[in-house]
Amino acid sequence: MTKRIFRSICLVALTVFVASVFLIMGLLYEYFSDAMQAQLKMQTDLAAQGVTNEGISYFHDLKVTNYRISLIDMNGNVLYDSASDIAKMGNHLEREEIQQAIIKGYGESRRYSATLTERSLYCAQKLDDGTILRLSISQRSIFTLLLGMVQPVCIVFLIALVLSIVLAKQVSQKIVKPINEIDLDNPLSNEEYDELSPFLRRIDSQQKQMRAQKAELAQKSDELDTIIGSMNEGMILLNSKGKIISINSAAKKLLDAGNDCIGSDMLSLCRNLELQDVLAKALHGEQGQNSIKLHGESYQIDADPIVSENIVKGTALFLFNVTEKEKAEQIRREFTANVSHELKTPLHSISGYAELLKNDMVKEADKIPFAGKIYEEAGRMIQLVEDIISLSHLDEGAGDMQWENTDLYTLADKAVQSLEPQANAACVTLALSGVPAVINGIPQLLYSIVYNLCDNAIKYNHENGSVMVTIENENNKVVLSVQDTGIGIAPEHQERIFERFYRVDKSHSKAVGGTGLGLSIVKHAAKIHNAKIEIKSLVGKGSTVIVTFPK
Amino acid sequence: MRLIFDEQLDLLNKELITMGAFCENAIALSAKALTEGNPALAKTVPDLSAQIDHKEREIESMCLKLLLQRQPVAKDLRVVSSALKMVTDMARIGDQSADIAEIITLANIRADDDTQIIHDMSVAVIKMVTDSIDAFVKKDMQMAKAVIAYDDVVDSFFDEVKEMLIALLGKPEADGEYAIDLLMIAKYFERIGDHAVNIAQWVLFSITGNKEG
Repeated sequence: MTKRIFRSICLVALTVFVASVFLIMGLLYEYFSDAMQAQLKMQTDLAAQGVTNEGISYFHDLKVTNYRISLIDMNGNVLYDSASDIAKMGNHLEREEIQQAIIKGYGESRRYSATLTERSLYCAQKLDDGTILRLSISQRSIFTLLLGMVQPVCIVFLIALVLSIVLAKQVSQKIVKPINEIDLDNPLSNEEYDELSPFLRRIDSQQKQMRAQKAELAQKSDELDTIIGSMNEGMILLNSKGKIISINSAAKKLLDAGNDCIGSDMLSLCRNLELQDVLAKALHGEQGQNSIKLHGESYQIDADPIVSENIVKGTALFLFNVTEKEKAEQIRREFTANVSHELKTPLHSISGYAELLKNDMVKEADKIPFAGKIYEEAGRMIQLVEDIISLSHLDEGAGDMQWENTDLYTLADKAVQSLEPQANAACVTLALSGVPAVINGIPQLLYSIVYNLCDNAIKYNHENGSVMVTIENENNKVVLSVQDTGIGIAPEHQERIFERFYRVDKSHSKAVGGTGLGLSIVKHAAKIHNAKIEIKSLVGKGSTVIVTFPK
Repeated sequence: MRLIFDEQLDLLNKELITMGAFCENAIALSAKALTEGNPALAKTVPDLSAQIDHKEREIESMCLKLLLQRQPVAKDLRVVSSALKMVTDMARIGDQSADIAEIITLANIRADDDTQIIHDMSVAVIKMVTDSIDAFVKKDMQMAKAVIAYDDVVDSFFDEVKEMLIALLGKPEADGEYAIDLLMIAKYFERIGDHAVNIAQWVLFSITGNKEG
């Protein structure tokens, strides 16, 4: 800015200066020359009169200082010259002023000397006798004058230079200072220059736009952060070199990573080789999946390459906890295996007995017992299939069953009565006590809860043992408890007896009977009613199962 | 120039961690094969050991190249030279894991009450190896010192195993081969612990520049 202003000022100053020098020089020089010429003409007149009066002798006592006087005859020969030896001078006839004088009687001319340092003014007048008197005066030429002025000109020029530097600085400072002091955060509050206002308005509108965009961006990244941060799955973003760009809190917790892990290599967080393999694949543009163990739990890892324009820009790594899923899968596998086994066992007996009957290898007396066995085994199978159906029904949530207000006591009474024959057969006394308690529930399921609990209490009882069913009606809950004096359940089995087909004593399952699904049905039915099941048991002394229904 | 050097150091670091992960895997596999008495599992360890040896050569030539081309000084020199030393210890860990696995493949070992103490010892050694590599990854001096101190635990485990085996051999029905195999496995574990200590010491050296012990 300063430089530019300085240059312009300098240029202007210089131009004005040079122009004025030339103008003044040219004008004045001509003016002085004309004045000199007029004076010369006067002098020539005077000298001409002198010469006319006195003849050539006029020159003898003439003291000439400034002028040069020459007398030339009609043929151009110099008769007298005050400055030079006439002998050495050539013919002057061709000179301009002489020619003019011969023709008009008076002539003038101006000529530069050979070196251009001087200029001579000539005035010639024709005398009466035909000779020509010529006066000349020399003046310094315009170039010599200029040359002589170099020093002052330089000084003036220098002064102009210094002045323009100082001025340029001041001016540019004056211009720039308010611009520098513009408050760009509030562009519209500035009133320095009208010229700047469109500019400031533009800045203001852009700032507003930027602020809006920034806020939007911040909000979006906040949203994303919240979503990613509250995810249960671990999520890690890696750049193309395998360095961490972003990691959510779940992944941090999982990999024991601190806050400083961003920018470090994935390898420094987890050295698991399977994970590294999947990552290496992903960085080559291949999607990878694997499952790894971390802190004793199973995690499925998914690595997806982030590809843009056919170049892998990075990898998104997800960690899912699949422990529950694997457990559920294992339970399902076990269930399938158990079901097929449980179905196969009675089928084998049925098929064996039937084969013997078919081949007529059975004595007539044994036919009835054989048929009885087949009937019994088929009954077991039907029971099993029914249990499985009701279980799978419960798995679906029992949505189509009717909820109604039911008296649990009445249901329990029904169950106890229907189990009376079994109890008698096992020499176990079965008793019901308590008060009527109406709850909202599904009667079939409530019935099967009481039935299965009592059934188990009878089955796993000692001879002459007892089973006590109690219904208590309290303020906000109904408590059903089934107490027996049976063999009891060891603590390590108490958790698992509700699993499908789980048997505490596998070797005696056949003798005791049952499908192994009863308690599983109880558990599911209780879950549908939001009821809690509690087991209190001592091995050898008996067990109490307490089911608490909320009202 | 420095940028390229930094990248090379970064790569060296990564390779070292990978090699450490291989070692952890090898010793974990050997320990698992021992606890389960599973010779089939043990047969996979020598492959891993070969991989570790290969990695050792790679890292060695990488370090030499760095020394030659970059002529590192101060911390960089410490990092490169300690890497050069650490790979030797890591390779030894891999070798000894393979040795343990080889003994297990002879099928003299059975999962037994006697192996329980060796199992505990292997857990302690695995912890040492993991911690020493963790100390390297995190440049954690405290952790490195903890590894060095933890060697005493492994040493006392070895003494216990020795006493247990002496008692075992004192019985008339003692199985000599079994006892000697167990002793060798215990010794290998004890040696692996020593190598983990070496690694921890080199980690300390690369951080502080002081070579202790």
